[in-house]
Amino acid sequence: MRDCESIRQSIGRWLDGELEAPESESVRAHLASCAECGKAQQQLESIQQMLKKTLLAEAQQIEFLPFWRGVQLRIAQRTPWHEQALDWVRATFTLSRAAWLVPASIALILAILSLESYVPGWREGRNSFASVESIDAYGRNVALLRENESKTTVIWLYEDQEGENETADEPAKSAPAF
Amino acid sequence: MRPLMNPRNQLRLFSLVLILAAGWVGAAEKNPQSVQVTIRTILAENKSDDFDPKLKGMEQQLKPLKYRSYHLLKAEDQNVPAKGTGSFEIPGGRSLTVAPQEFQNNRIALKVRLTERDKPVIDTTVKIPNKGNFILGGPPHEGGVLVLSISATAQ
Amino acid sequence: MASFQELVSRYHQKVYMVILGLLHNRDDALEVAQETFFRAYRKIGSFEGGSSFYTWIYRIAVNLAIDAQRRQKRNPLDFRETMDGVLEAQEETARDPFADVHDRELRENLIRAINELTPEHKAVIVLRTIEGLSYKDIGDILGCSEGTVMSRLHYARKKLQDKLSAFL
Repeated sequence: MRDCESIRQSIGRWLDGELEAPESESVRAHLASCAECGKAQQQLESIQQMLKKTLLAEAQQIEFLPFWRGVQLRIAQRTPWHEQALDWVRATFTLSRAAWLVPASIALILAILSLESYVPGWREGRNSFASVESIDAYGRNVALLRENESKTTVIWLYEDQEGENETADEPAKSAPAF
Repeated sequence: MRPLMNPRNQLRLFSLVLILAAGWVGAAEKNPQSVQVTIRTILAENKSDDFDPKLKGMEQQLKPLKYRSYHLLKAEDQNVPAKGTGSFEIPGGRSLTVAPQEFQNNRIALKVRLTERDKPVIDTTVKIPNKGNFILGGPPHEGGVLVLSISATAQ
Repeated sequence: MASFQELVSRYHQKVYMVILGLLHNRDDALEVAQETFFRAYRKIGSFEGGSSFYTWIYRIAVNLAIDAQRRQKRNPLDFRETMDGVLEAQEETARDPFADVHDRELRENLIRAINELTPEHKAVIVLRTIEGLSYKDIGDILGCSEGTVMSRLHYARKKLQDKLSAFL
C-alpha cells in the first residue's frame, strides 16, 4: 500500500488522466479511503475549476467581430504591399476559378482566330505594310515610299535628272513627285 | 463530387485541351500549297487627266505618285506553286519573275526580279500581308512610267 | 482570408483565455491575442500540419504572452480591478451570500498566487486547466519534454495549494 505522501505526488497526474491503469486504480482506491488525501484532491479540483470558470467568463465577453477587425487592421497595416497583392491573387484565383479560366481562354483564343473570317485583314492592323527585306537595284537609284492612308509600300526606280527622257510637251518624270 | 469534376482534375483536363488547341492552331498555319499572284501593269503619265475605271480601288495607292493619269495596260493572274516561280511579261521587253518564299504570321515573302532585255533591273524580297500588295514602279514606257502592282493570296 | 477568418472565429476565445491566464490584464491579453492571429496569418503558409493547428497557435500565443510578461510593468492588483466586470457578468444564481464572498476571496487570491508563479509554471497550469491538454501537447507548445511539464505542474499546484489552503 502506498503512503499518503506518495499518493499526493500522483494526484495531479491522476486528475489529468496521465497515469497507467494499475497506478490510476491504486490512487483512486486510496483517495476513496483516505480523508486527508481526499481533501488534497478536492483542493486541486477547486483550484482548477475556479481558474477555468474565471477565465472562461472573461473570454466569453470577447465578441468575434471587433476582435476580427483588430486582426484585420494589423494585417492591413503591417503586411507589405507586395504580399497583400499576392494574398489578393491567391484569394481571387482559387483552384476552382483557375479551372474555369482555362476553357474560357480556349474559347477566347478560338474566337480571335475565327474572327478573320468575319473581319478579313483585321489582324494586320498596324502591320499591314509590306516590308522590304532586301533590295538590289544593280547600281540604279531606288527610293522607298510608305503611304500611310492606304498602307502601301512603293519601290521606285528612277534615273538621275540629267538622264534621258522620253518627252513630249510635258516630260513625264521618271521620278514621281512624292 | 465525382473525381473527374473536382477542380484539380478540371484544371488538368482543360490544360491538356489548351495545349492540344495551341498545337492545332500552330499546325493550322501550315505553308500554303500555292500562291495566287496578280500583276497589274499600269501606265502613269502626265499627258492627260484620266483615271482608268478598271483601276477602281487603287486611287489611294496611286495618288502619292502624283501623276495625272493612270491606265491599266494589263492584268495577269498566275497560281504559283510554293517554292516555284511565276513569270510575267511586262511591256517594253521586260519580264517579272515572282517566287513565293515563305508564309508566316499571315504574311507572304516574295522574291521578285524585274529584267529588261534579259538583264536584271532590280531584285527584291518583300513580305506582304496575305491578300495584300506592294508597288514597283519607275521604268519608263511610252512617255510615261510603268507602275506594277504585285499582289499575292495564299491558297 | 475567409478560411482564416473561420479559424479565428473558432479559436479566438480559447487563445484569449490562455493569454489572460498568463498576463492577468484584459487590455494586454486582447492585444497579444490579436497579435497572435496576425502572426499566425503571416506564417500560415509555413504551417506544415505536423502538429495540430491549436498546438501551433497556442505556441505562438504563449511565446508572445511570455514576452509581454517580461515587458509588463503593471501591478497584479490591476487584474483584480478588471475582474469586477467579470463578477457582474456572471450569471446570478440563488447562492449563499457567504459563498459569494468566499468565491470572491478565493478568486482574488488565486489570481494573486498564480501571478507569483514564473511564466513557465503559469503556462503549464493555464494550458492544463483551461484546455485539458495532454502533457505531450503542452510539451509541444512550450518546447519541453513531458517530464518537464509534469514536474512544473506538480510544483505549480503545490505552490497554489499552499497559498490557497486557507480559502479552500
